[in-house]
Amino acid sequence: MGARIMPASIPDSESLSSGPSVAGLDPSDWQRAERRVSDYLRAMGISDPQEIERLLDQVRQRAAIRAAAAPLEDPVEAAIEEAHSLLDQWLIAELGLEGDADRLCAARAAVLNGAVPGWSARWAGFASDSLAPAILAAHLPATPEPAPLNMEPNRIDLLFHRLGHRFLASICRVLCRSSLGGGSPGVRS
Amino acid sequence: MSSLPGSFAGLGRHFHRPIYFSLVTITTLWTMSLLTAAIQDGGITPLELVLLILYAILMLWINASFWTAALGFVRLLRHQNDADTFGEAAPASPDESDGPFKTALVMPVYNEDPERVFAGLRAMYQSLVETGRHQGFEIFILSDTRDPDTWVREEWEWRRWAQELGHPARIFYRNRVENTARKSGNLAEFCRRWGGRYRYMIVLDADSIMCGTTLVEMVRRMEADRRLALIQVPPVPVNRSSLFARMLQFAGSLYGRMFAAGLAYWQQDTANFWGHNAIIRVRPFAQHCGLPQLPGREPFGGDILSHDFVEAALLARAGWKVRLADDLGGSYEEIPPTLIDYAKRDRRWCQGNLQHTRLILARHFKSLSRIHFAMGVMSYLASPLWLLFLIATGVEAYFRSLTVPVYFFGNNVLPVWPESYAVEMATVLWVTLTMLFLPKLLALILLAVKRDLAPRFGGLARATISVVIESLLSVLLAPVLMLFQSKFVAAILLRTTVGWPTQERGDHQTGFAEAFGAHAVHTLIAAVVGVVTYVYVPDFFWWFTPVLAGLALSIPVSMITSRTSLGLLARRAGLFLTPAESDEPRVLRLLDDNLAASQPTPQTTGRDLWSWAVVEPSAYALHASLLPDENPSRRRRHALEGIIFKLQDEGPQSLNTAEKRALLSHRDGLYELHTQLWAGAEPPVSVQRLN
Repeated sequence: MGARIMPASIPDSESLSSGPSVAGLDPSDWQRAERRVSDYLRAMGISDPQEIERLLDQVRQRAAIRAAAAPLEDPVEAAIEEAHSLLDQWLIAELGLEGDADRLCAARAAVLNGAVPGWSARWAGFASDSLAPAILAAHLPATPEPAPLNMEPNRIDLLFHRLGHRFLASICRVLCRSSLGGGSPGVRS
Repeated sequence: MSSLPGSFAGLGRHFHRPIYFSLVTITTLWTMSLLTAAIQDGGITPLELVLLILYAILMLWINASFWTAALGFVRLLRHQNDADTFGEAAPASPDESDGPFKTALVMPVYNEDPERVFAGLRAMYQSLVETGRHQGFEIFILSDTRDPDTWVREEWEWRRWAQELGHPARIFYRNRVENTARKSGNLAEFCRRWGGRYRYMIVLDADSIMCGTTLVEMVRRMEADRRLALIQVPPVPVNRSSLFARMLQFAGSLYGRMFAAGLAYWQQDTANFWGHNAIIRVRPFAQHCGLPQLPGREPFGGDILSHDFVEAALLARAGWKVRLADDLGGSYEEIPPTLIDYAKRDRRWCQGNLQHTRLILARHFKSLSRIHFAMGVMSYLASPLWLLFLIATGVEAYFRSLTVPVYFFGNNVLPVWPESYAVEMATVLWVTLTMLFLPKLLALILLAVKRDLAPRFGGLARATISVVIESLLSVLLAPVLMLFQSKFVAAILLRTTVGWPTQERGDHQTGFAEAFGAHAVHTLIAAVVGVVTYVYVPDFFWWFTPVLAGLALSIPVSMITSRTSLGLLARRAGLFLTPAESDEPRVLRLLDDNLAASQPTPQTTGRDLWSWAVVEPSAYALHASLLPDENPSRRRRHALEGIIFKLQDEGPQSLNTAEKRALLSHRDGLYELHTQLWAGAEPPVSVQRLN
């Protein structure tokens, strides 16, 4: 595992407000987005200012690409989505999870629940050792592997229900000279 | 080769049912003959015929219960060692000759208190660990919980426990997307998805507690008989403190064992399933116990509500054995703490049992399964029948009071005194009361004979006082329950469906407003009927006073019996003491410890838990990881967006439970909400992280 850089101080919202702007975005919009992403990363449990700075930078780049493709309706929402997506992309790359939504969600839960020490440093690119074994080991399966059994509803023949059908069918036959036609007696769900 | 006594014992088993049913039939005919003698005064009027028929049905019911208790009494009297009945079963090694297998402890839950659910499961697991046999068991919480906050709390509790235990995972949790077919559907879904993993499942209720040695012994017994599909271990009521509950716990512990012994005597290999505290062989259960929907609409059609009886009948129909392990202890449950809660539970059970009327004559079921259905129906139908019987008796007494005696008729010179049937009527009454109360006396005789047992009930003297008080209170409570159950039956016959309300399980006390709301009608009925009978049939009034007293005093009795202070006072006085109280089993102590040590819910700074699970990244990630992976549909996406807009415009309080649940139920909606809340004008208030 790579060396963890200890934080000198946690960057607050004010210190982030002077960050670089994003092409295609109003600077004030981006500052608001940056502050919120910073809050979001801290809520994820990341306390190292350098890690936050590095991750913010990556979010900024992704937001810029997105803004270049199409105007952003809500820059803050777009930035939060990008932060979320950044984490998911890192987990997919770390674990080789292409297309497996369940394992991705499980991995996200494992790291955000604090079961994988040093995950944020690795995510921010400050650690070189793979955390895949640790993430997989931290995963707590909520259910075991499927072991299906067939369980079909059983037939229960209700006496009066069956007799009632037969009685009605007989009356119909007598009165209408026609059958009710194949009405199944009993119960089948 | 079996020994001679063993052969006789085996032969004797064939006579158990004939003996029981003969006793019930003969006693019923005898009591009917007593009533016939009392009322046939120059022929039988239509009203008297109605009385006779009602009495016959009710006496059949009472006699069936009486002889079950009496035969149970004889069995327990002959039983030399009570250790198994009250204590924990001897540890035994499951036979693993054909390879290792797993047993699932499955607990279906529906909006239950997660703290209690997990504390109970932890206690059972700890008890299993103490047996050293826990490797063969896994725990499955089958959640049908709809309440969003409870759902999130369940996940939180599961994760905390799963993290403590680590690998290999033994604690599993899933919340069903749709709670189709309620509890039976919940179990069926478990069997369909994971049934192949387990040879046995032990079905628990949210308030079930079973000790580890009992769980191991249940597995051992199943292994010993490969034609055995289900063993029901009778649960003993425990852990409540109100006077009402302690009274029921005492009755359940003292008389319940006698009834269980009697039931096992005549039910033999066609016993019943009580819905929980039972071990089931999974494959035959999956093969034979898939339940159909009954034709027609609720309340008699649709999903089978009381599924347990039907599942036992289906297993028996397929040739599998179903047994009641009356000799096995270490099985507990908690009961409703107050009279009103007890009645609410009855309301739920009533519809399910009445639904069985359609199954009594269904084809291919065993005769004994039909009797189980009929007894289930009668346990609720008995109340309106008693009510009709009382009304018919009152009317009959009124007509008799109108009859003017004629002393001189024909050519008689001397007066002809009208015949009095007071002695016959008194005999009928005393015989009925004897049948009702004799089991209580038998239970006391058992305590007197088995000296080591009496101290566990507070000693013979205190147990006797407890029985007397319990009997008096039962007399007061019986008319109230009769009216409650009659109302439920009437409501169901009028095709009113019941909901699936969560049970109120913890101790709490009935206030005046609640008691007045529930019992004002009972009090009014007592006043009106009391005045009417006193004015028009004064002789009948005095016979009727026990019933009237119960109804007239229902409000104070309901309030007083709900008091935990009185329950605890009685306990300090050694009254209503049960073996589980006098020598608390280890597993119940573990439950107490776990409840005391349970961690508070996460600090969510004013947010509801469901909202916390949406906002807080770690809680959100955990919740999302437990949701099924689905392809989002446009229709659902629009519906979710509508709810999100409502949340944003009108605040969290504007959402109902179903809308909150919808937001929590799909990963796409959850993600959408999570990101939008973080992108709001104000950042989400700081919340405690999950870890």
